[in-house]
Amino acid sequence: MSAGLDNLKHVVVLMMENRSFDHMLGALHAEDSRINGLTGKETNPDTTNEPAKVLPQAKFQGQLDPDPDHHFPAVHKQLFFGTPGPPAVPSMQGFVQSYFDQQHDVSHSRKIMFYFATDKLPVLHTLARNYAVFNGWFSSIPGPTVCNRAFAHYGTSFGKASLDIFFLKEPFKSIYERLLAAGRTTKLYYFDPSSSTQEVVNLLKNQPQIFATYPQFLEDCKRGLLPDYCFVEPNYSDHPGEGGGELLASDQHPDHDVQEGEVFIATIYNAIRQNPDLWKSTALLITYDEHGGIYDHVPPPACIPDGFHASLDDTNGVPFDFDRLGVRVPTILVSPWIAKRTVVPGPEDPVKGRVFEHASIPATITQHFIGEYDARTVREKAAQTFLDLLTDTMRPDEDCPHFEFD
Amino acid sequence: MAKPPVIRVPKPSRSSYQPHRLLSKNTLLLNQVKHFKALEKDFPPEHQTGIAHESILTEAHAAEYIRRMTLKLHKPPAKA
Repeated sequence: MSAGLDNLKHVVVLMMENRSFDHMLGALHAEDSRINGLTGKETNPDTTNEPAKVLPQAKFQGQLDPDPDHHFPAVHKQLFFGTPGPPAVPSMQGFVQSYFDQQHDVSHSRKIMFYFATDKLPVLHTLARNYAVFNGWFSSIPGPTVCNRAFAHYGTSFGKASLDIFFLKEPFKSIYERLLAAGRTTKLYYFDPSSSTQEVVNLLKNQPQIFATYPQFLEDCKRGLLPDYCFVEPNYSDHPGEGGGELLASDQHPDHDVQEGEVFIATIYNAIRQNPDLWKSTALLITYDEHGGIYDHVPPPACIPDGFHASLDDTNGVPFDFDRLGVRVPTILVSPWIAKRTVVPGPEDPVKGRVFEHASIPATITQHFIGEYDARTVREKAAQTFLDLLTDTMRPDEDCPHFEFD
Repeated sequence: MAKPPVIRVPKPSRSSYQPHRLLSKNTLLLNQVKHFKALEKDFPPEHQTGIAHESILTEAHAAEYIRRMTLKLHKPPAKA
């Protein structure tokens, strides 16, 4: 066991919304060729059959309106356009065509190929440069939010490939229930009651004791009271604050302002970073639920089937047995025990490459805090875990960045 | 003693705040509201929010409805 793992007492997972790896981190390939981002030559055909190139012209807001379709049928088109479909390797050629379907505007549809230029995202890009960035972390399902988030909580979506949330009376327990039963501590922090939680009505009904709000997270960091494992949800809507003022959505879901999400990520990082005891004993995983219909160039690989079959209503008649992953998402693991500029290879490296997905979250937490635990899906049991990235060396304080707000 | 590198984080412009953005523009929020509506139907009348579902048209409307529902879900009605 590494010294980093030996010192680990807390794992914090922050799951943002609807951005692909290439859209957020693809620019970093230019400065570090190990990061499997964009070369600048990637294209998708538009509906006039002209190539739409990736361009570093992504804006914080006002560009991806309407919300790009990311339900299963649309993602199927984004992945398999120009191919006979599964089991063919995804072509990743249908993103522009799919976005065109929503507004029938050729010029607008090409914006789905835009990505953020280097340092346009100072928080995410700084964290990627300073800690561990995953080249091969994929969403669990080629579909929307709720089923993907379910994999982070349960290691499965119980056969759902849609936004259906009613996972009641299901055979596998959430990671929170498992931890509580094992005598461990856990919390799910949502932003505030007006934003509430995407996870999930049955948790609100059955497990209100695990829920707390974001201000409580900040207080728990300050006082050193974080539980063993916690999951943080951003603010999902623009709304007035309880005590007045204006609260911006921080989830980065199009068309919410990406900069507010940057502020949110930095605030969480700082909250952990500013408590020395917490900093040396906490790993923070920042990830995104799915790609939100936005371009990524890496074909999602096959995976071990989940043991469920999707309803054909969810997939528009396409058979789906949860045997292949969704589009790649930005994921960064932060800890002072991680070597600077760690890049975890993905499918681009046939020898050392590792494939992660959201089932890796309960798999890792179960392994670290519970140990042997059989009552979970084969998919979760097979998922890669990520705490082996913690090393024997704790980096000095002056080597780890700190964020300040304008 | 060397200090850690400081990275400046810009804040979004005030015009980013758009609580009147139509709910139909965000499928996630739209579905969150839909799910809470489905739950509310099972509440006894005295525990319901009193918000007419058809009046929830914007993010601000959705946020207020979700707020009331969340508080109620944390204090579920007593079982008969």
